[in-house]
Amino acid sequence: MTTLPFLLLILAVIVGYVLNRVAAKTIRDGGNRLHSMTSYHGMFSALLILVPVLTFILLWLVLRGPVIDGMVMGGLPDGVLVDLDSGGVQLVLAEIKSVSRGQVFGTPEDWKIAAADRFVILHQRADWLLIAAVAAISLLLMGFARSRVTADFRARQGVEGIVSGLMIFCSTVAIFTTIGIIVSLTYETFRFLEAVPLTDFLFGVNWEPQIPLREDQIAAEGAFGWLPVFLGTIVITVVALVVAVPIGLFSAIYLNEFAPRKLRSVVKPVLEILAGVPTVVYGFFAILVVAPAIRSLGQSIGLDVAPNTALAAGGVMGIMLIPFISSFADDALSAVPQTLRDGALGLGATRGEMMTTVLFPAALPGIVGGVLLAVSRAIGETMIVVMAAGLIAKLTINPLDSVTTVTVQIVTLLIGDTSFDNPKTLAAFALGMMLFLVTLMINIFALRIVRKYREAYD
Amino acid sequence: MNDMRQFERDVKMTNTKITARSVNVHYGDTHAIKDVDVDIADKTVTAFIGPSGCGKSTFLRCLNRMNDTIDICRVTGLINLDGKDINHKSVDPVQLRAQVGMVFQKPNPFPKSIYDNIAYGPRIHGLARSKADLDVIVEKSLRRGAIWEEVKDRLDQPGTGLSGGQQQRLCIARAVATEPEVLLMDEPCSALDPIATAQVEELIDELRQEYSVVIVTHSMQQAARVSQKTAFFHLGHLVEFNDTDQIFTNPQDSRTESYITGKIG
Ligand SMILES: Nc1ncnc2c1ncn2[C@@H]1O[C@H](COP(=O)(O)OP(=O)(O)OP(=O)(O)O)[C@@H](O)[C@H]1O
Ligand SMILES: [Mg+2]
Repeated sequence: MTTLPFLLLILAVIVGYVLNRVAAKTIRDGGNRLHSMTSYHGMFSALLILVPVLTFILLWLVLRGPVIDGMVMGGLPDGVLVDLDSGGVQLVLAEIKSVSRGQVFGTPEDWKIAAADRFVILHQRADWLLIAAVAAISLLLMGFARSRVTADFRARQGVEGIVSGLMIFCSTVAIFTTIGIIVSLTYETFRFLEAVPLTDFLFGVNWEPQIPLREDQIAAEGAFGWLPVFLGTIVITVVALVVAVPIGLFSAIYLNEFAPRKLRSVVKPVLEILAGVPTVVYGFFAILVVAPAIRSLGQSIGLDVAPNTALAAGGVMGIMLIPFISSFADDALSAVPQTLRDGALGLGATRGEMMTTVLFPAALPGIVGGVLLAVSRAIGETMIVVMAAGLIAKLTINPLDSVTTVTVQIVTLLIGDTSFDNPKTLAAFALGMMLFLVTLMINIFALRIVRKYREAYD
Repeated sequence: MNDMRQFERDVKMTNTKITARSVNVHYGDTHAIKDVDVDIADKTVTAFIGPSGCGKSTFLRCLNRMNDTIDICRVTGLINLDGKDINHKSVDPVQLRAQVGMVFQKPNPFPKSIYDNIAYGPRIHGLARSKADLDVIVEKSLRRGAIWEEVKDRLDQPGTGLSGGQQQRLCIARAVATEPEVLLMDEPCSALDPIATAQVEELIDELRQEYSVVIVTHSMQQAARVSQKTAFFHLGHLVEFNDTDQIFTNPQDSRTESYITGKIG
C-alpha cells in the first residue's frame, strides 16, 4: 500500500517532464528561440513535482502513526483509562495494535476490539487519503509547471535554483546534526554536574564510578575525577603518535620521492589495506602478540611490566594510524606542482634538500591534516584499548603500566542495565563532552599553527 | 671589417663550452631527439627555435641532466662540458646543475619570501660565509634580474605574490644567484609583457659577458635580437645550426626557410 504513492509520484514526474519538454519543443519548432534548452523545461517540471510531493509523502508517513494512535486513544469509551499511569496507557495501546493485527491473547474487552477495528479503518482511510492527495498535488504542480512554458521562460534558472536549494539543504544537515549532538551532550552534562560538583570532576584524581544501586546497599560513594582517565588517553595517544607519525611520514616521503615506481605500486596498496583492518583484529594482535612480547622483553631486562600495558595498546594503535598519516602526507606531497620540484633540482638541490626545503613546507597543511585526523582517531579509539590496556584508572604516565581511557570508561559506564538518572551513567556524557572539547581545541590550535607556517603555493 | 668578423668567429670556435655528439632521447617509445650534434660556445647566446613539440625543451634539459628526474626518459650520446662528459658516473648531477643553471617556461618561485627564493641556491651550495655576504648576493642577483627596484622594500613577502612577469624575473635572479657558468632558459619570456621582455633581453645580453646562455624561444624576433647562434629543430632533428644572421637572412635548409617565413610550425 505504501509503494503506491511512490509509484504515482514517479509517474507524475515522468509525465511532467515529457509534457513540458514536448511543449517547449513545439514552441521551438514553431520558430521561436527558446531562452532555455528543452531538457531544462522538462527538468523544471520534474523537480517542481518531485521535491514537494516527496516531502509531503515522507512527512505523512512519519506523522500518520502518532496521529492515528492519538485518534484511537481519544475515541475510547470514558473511564477505561482513568486509573492508568503513562506505562499502563502504552500497554493498552500496544494491546489494541496487536489485536488489530489479529494476534489475540486471552479474551480482550469489547471496547478494545472496537478500538482495534477503528485502528484498521483509520489506517486504510489514511492510505487512500494519501494517494488522493499525492495525485491532486501532482496534477496541480504539473498544471502549474506546464502553464509556465513560454519562449522566454527561464527554466534553466528555475532548475538551478531548485538544485542549489537541495544542495544547501544537504550541506546544512551535517551542521544541524553537530548542533544536535552538542545540545544533547550539554544537557546531560549539566544534569551530571548537578550531582557532582564541577571542581570534583575537573580536578579530582580518583575515578571510581560506583554508586549504591539500592538505598540500603553499602557501597563506596563513588569518585568522579576525570584526570586519571584523561591522562590514560593522553599516554596512549602519545605512544600511538610516536609510532605512527615518523613511520607514516617517512614512508610517505620515501614512496613519493625516492621509491622506484614498481615498489610504490606494491607498497601503497598494502599500506592502504592496513587502514581497512577492523580495530578488533588489531586488538587481538595487541593482546596475543604485542603485549606478551613487551612483557617478556621487559622482564628479561628487569623491568616491572603489567600484563596490559599502555605501550602495547598505543603501539598497535600507532600501526593502525600509519596509513592515515602516510596517505595524507603522500597526497599532500604529490599535490605540490612539478614545477617547484624542477625549480629546486634545477638550482642544484639534492632530492633530500628539495624535500626538506621546498616540498615539505609546501605540503605542510595536508600533512598536519593527516596527523590531526590520526590524533582524533587515537583519542576516540576504543576497541584496541578495551582489549589491550585495561580498565583500571591510574594516575600514571608510565607506558608500561596498565591505564584506561576516556572512551573505554564511557563504554563501561553505559554497558548493562542502566537508568539515566544517576551520576554513574551521566558521567559518560560529561566524559564525552570533555573529549569533544579537547579534540575541538586541538583542531583549532593546529589550524592556527598551520596557517602561521604554511608556504602556500598558488 | 670583414677581417674583424672572421677573427671574432675564430675566437668563439676555440671557446666551445658544450659539445654534444649523436645525442638521442627516448621517452618510453617516443623518440624525441634524433642524433643531435651541436657546439655551444662560451660567452655567447645560443637560441633554439622550432615548432612546438620538436624537442627544444627536451634537448635543453639534457644539458643539465634534468631529464634524469623523469623516469621514462633515456638519454644516449655524448655531452661534454668543458671537455668532460657530463653523463659520466663520476659527475654528480647536483653539482652539474649548480654549474648549469636553468630558468623554466612557467615562473616557479618557491612559496617562500623573495629573499629566501634568491638565497636558496647560495644557501644549499654554501656560497655565502655570513648573513652580510648573503645580503650582498641577494641584492646583486635581484639587480641583475632587473627587479630590485620593484621588490627592495618587500623582500620578506612571498615570491608567489608577485605578478607573472615579476615572478619570472625573480626566477632568473634566483638562477643567477648560484653563479652558474651556463644558463639555460626555456621560453623565459612567454609570460612577460613587452617591457619586461625587453628588460629580460637586456639582461641576457649582459649575462653573455660572463656566461654562456642557451635560450629556447618561439619568437623569431627575439632570437634575432638576443642570440649570436641559432639552432633550428624540427621533429627531433637539428636541421640547421649557424650564426643567427645567417639563419635569418640566408637559411641553407628549405625547412628552416619555411619555418622562419611562417609556412610550418
Ligand atoms: N615528460 C615527458 N614524457 C613523455 N613524453 C614527453 C615528455 N616531455 C616531452 N615529451 C615528448 O617529447 C617531444 C618533445 O617535447 P618537448 O617538450 O621537448 O618539445 P618543445 O620543442 O619544447 O615544444 P614546445 O615548444 O611546445 O615547448 C614531444 O613529442 C613530447 O610529446
Ligand atoms: Mg618546451
